[in-house]
Amino acid sequence: MAELTVVGKPVTRVDANEKVTGEAIYGYDLVLPNMLYGKTLFSTKAHARIKRISTEKAKAFPGVVAVVTGADVPWTHGESIKDKPFLAQGKVRFIGEPVAAVAAEDEDIAQAAVKLIEVEYEDLPVYVDPEEACKSGAVAIHEDFPKYRKVDFIVPGAHANIAEHFKLRTGDVAQGFKESDLVLEEKYFVPMIQHAAMEPHSAHAQFDKETGRLTIWVANDAPFRALHEIAEALGMPKEKIRFINPLQGGGFGSKGGLKVEPIAVALAFHTNGRPVRVKFNREETFISTLTRHEAVVYSKTGVKKDGTLMAREMTIYWGAGAYAEKSPTVCIRGSLPAPGPYRIPHVKVDGYAVYTNKPVAGSYRGYGIPQGAWAGEQQMDEIAKRLDMDAVEIRLKNIFVEGDISYWGEQLHAVGLKETLTKATEAIEWGNKPHQIKPGVKNGKGFACIQKPTRSPTTSAAGVMVNTKGDITVLAGTVEIGQGCNTILSQVAAEELKVPMAKVQMHPLDTDVIPYDASTTSSRSTYHMGNAVRRASIHAREQIMEAASPMLEAKTQDLDCVDGKVFLKDQPQMALTLGEVVRRKFGPEGVVRGDGSYTYEIGKDLDLETGHSDHASAFYMYATQAAEVEVDEDSGRIRILRMSAAHDVGKAINPLNCVAQIEGGVVMGIGSALHEEMVIDQTGKVRNPSFLDYHLVTSLDTPELISIIVECAEPEGPYGAKGLGEPGLAPTPAAIGNAVADALGIRIYDLPLKPENVYWAIQNKKKKDAA
Amino acid sequence: MNQKIQFTLNGKSTTMEAPTHRLLLDLLRDEIGLTGTKEGCGTGDCGACTVLMNGKPVNSCLVLSGELEGASIVTIEGLKIGPELDAVQNAFVRDGGAQCGYCTPGMLMMSKALLDENSNPTEDDIRFALSGNLCRCTGYAKIIQAVQDAAAMIRSKNVQ
Repeated sequence: MAELTVVGKPVTRVDANEKVTGEAIYGYDLVLPNMLYGKTLFSTKAHARIKRISTEKAKAFPGVVAVVTGADVPWTHGESIKDKPFLAQGKVRFIGEPVAAVAAEDEDIAQAAVKLIEVEYEDLPVYVDPEEACKSGAVAIHEDFPKYRKVDFIVPGAHANIAEHFKLRTGDVAQGFKESDLVLEEKYFVPMIQHAAMEPHSAHAQFDKETGRLTIWVANDAPFRALHEIAEALGMPKEKIRFINPLQGGGFGSKGGLKVEPIAVALAFHTNGRPVRVKFNREETFISTLTRHEAVVYSKTGVKKDGTLMAREMTIYWGAGAYAEKSPTVCIRGSLPAPGPYRIPHVKVDGYAVYTNKPVAGSYRGYGIPQGAWAGEQQMDEIAKRLDMDAVEIRLKNIFVEGDISYWGEQLHAVGLKETLTKATEAIEWGNKPHQIKPGVKNGKGFACIQKPTRSPTTSAAGVMVNTKGDITVLAGTVEIGQGCNTILSQVAAEELKVPMAKVQMHPLDTDVIPYDASTTSSRSTYHMGNAVRRASIHAREQIMEAASPMLEAKTQDLDCVDGKVFLKDQPQMALTLGEVVRRKFGPEGVVRGDGSYTYEIGKDLDLETGHSDHASAFYMYATQAAEVEVDEDSGRIRILRMSAAHDVGKAINPLNCVAQIEGGVVMGIGSALHEEMVIDQTGKVRNPSFLDYHLVTSLDTPELISIIVECAEPEGPYGAKGLGEPGLAPTPAAIGNAVADALGIRIYDLPLKPENVYWAIQNKKKKDAA
Repeated sequence: MNQKIQFTLNGKSTTMEAPTHRLLLDLLRDEIGLTGTKEGCGTGDCGACTVLMNGKPVNSCLVLSGELEGASIVTIEGLKIGPELDAVQNAFVRDGGAQCGYCTPGMLMMSKALLDENSNPTEDDIRFALSGNLCRCTGYAKIIQAVQDAAAMIRSKNVQ
């Protein structure tokens, strides 16, 4: 490979300038001419029949243009199960479910009118615990579940509230446990948390009766998928729908799918062509958008005396909330690798995505990996302790290495796990573990390993245009959600067209002109869209070389390209700028356009009975994180002293950006480990829907962060790259949990590790020891 | 009830009519069209809407238009000096202090307030000053580094 000039370099972000000056326009900022303001009425009941809705008073309120309820919009949507109405139909299934909406001349009027809508409910039993919701006798939250349209990989469970049952069957776990010297069985719990992107949710929509076109402006991280979902729900041809993406102020998985969009669309059909904006405030964002799956994880592991893993059986209840959203795929892709990145001959996993009467759970950075790791990685440490083995040693004995066949039947390659394990643990001086330095404070170290798949198979397509000034415009449907894709993709185009970064710009995202992309999710963009932009850039370069060949009187193979110029390899002074070539060939307004697309070809589909697949993922991300903590024995407060994070990224296209992703991920993971939880009472009400009561990590709480990039090249990836968006937070809670257990000699099974939980764990141990 | 108010906005004298209960945040974003100031919570918990009021940082979602009479307000749009980025803006660009960028204007205004008062802050000073400004993307490390670098730039400029 020729030497890389832009790829692999710590380039500063291409979008930084507009972000530090306040010029960047986000979805929440967008004002459209002649716009109306929408407000939503949310359900105040977690599970109830709607006996009556009356909207007369709201409709009569001066300044109100439209009031809509479920009766006006008889549509349902859902990524893999069509279970969610645009507005509640006949019943409500969680507190925060949109029931009605108003469009008015200003926001105050809309809010006042919403308060005039009367709804009469008849209560139904409320289920807030996923295990309770699928016990026999529990009533169906979706009576019509069997009738819903579903994608073909859905396997409904035995109980009506089980939306998906994932099964993995390898070997014979009963035999494996019989042959084990030690068998450990424990229950772990991960609570519901929220993405809490700093920009709340909003959407704008406009329906033009004359053209029959529906336009939606929204910071959605998968505009093509959202377009498809709206088209399917409305029975409209896709070409009649257009998505335009303003900038997105963070997402972390919360801004894919449809949340505010259906409300804006519902109103747009009743405003006589005027655009309508629907904004959720922070509280509305907390109760009505998306959450991360709470999970109850039962883990049973059998092991030989020498630490060799024999069998692992896991049963995971994923709390889906009131609608399926992405629960089936979280259940599948989170349950599949939950037993951990280890060679285990006998494996059995049952994952259940269970409806409850809580806010909807969906995709969340990490997509089910943190929940499995919280259980599996702590149990690994517990086993090591009982066998009197070092936690690193037991991992090294069992971890996946190059060429291993995973327990789902896939041969693994580009496995950088061992290097991440070694480097992360060395970075916190693993061998040196003092348990007490200060009086009243216990010290400990711990780590955790993960392997994460990406959504497969998927497609990304891209276009690259070169004009007569030699400026490059990249057309790519990857959404800049803060992760830095615009910088990475610009680097790829600059690298292949041999131009300085300043010559490259990204085209704004508009589904009318931008080629198809599956989604900005699953850490898939650098790999998939990176490949597509690379191919499109090469396609453009080839056309330019071909055009330049007669101009420079040379064969294309004798030409080279550097610094925005095409020249003869042996006579570099014989050169033309890219722009000059385009102008001479196509005239003063000429453009060369290159196109490229990349689809990961999956092998055999996941077998629904065994969970086996020979290609479950385009690539796998590997990581180890290690934590050093101190725990105050009087208060139960945990202080993280330092945290190392070693991630196998394949190839760091931008090391600066890789470190940014790792640091951000780890700190998000620390929040989920130490204090984040959505507190939901027995009536289904969220008790902490504000940043005052839902604690995010602040600048006072972060430890020393040691980011380590490991590059175990993925042959199919662009320049060897894999992905990095999600894994940054996946092993974090388990690593901290292991460090706390090391410090206290107490295993805590439930997240978050908030002071009172730790305090009571210490008190209970004291009581037990005394007895 | 509408009330006539006169205040200075990014160095320019501004007169306008607004209901006394209108939030400074909404006034800036909806009435004046300066959307650089961001709304993250509307309850004073996240700091995204931080602006300078008479040189001090405030959450603009907690200031009513009735309090504005005679005040001097500086928003993110007023941070640049001519075409030049302020030292703290430059440092955020260079160090990667912005990811999604939504908390960035508030972070910058809070950092500016800190550096105006103390151009030689310790790391703890910076962490404390920014503790009311939430960021979900960066993990704060690059932001803290950017403020340190901006402080160094300001100090070296003062020496010259």
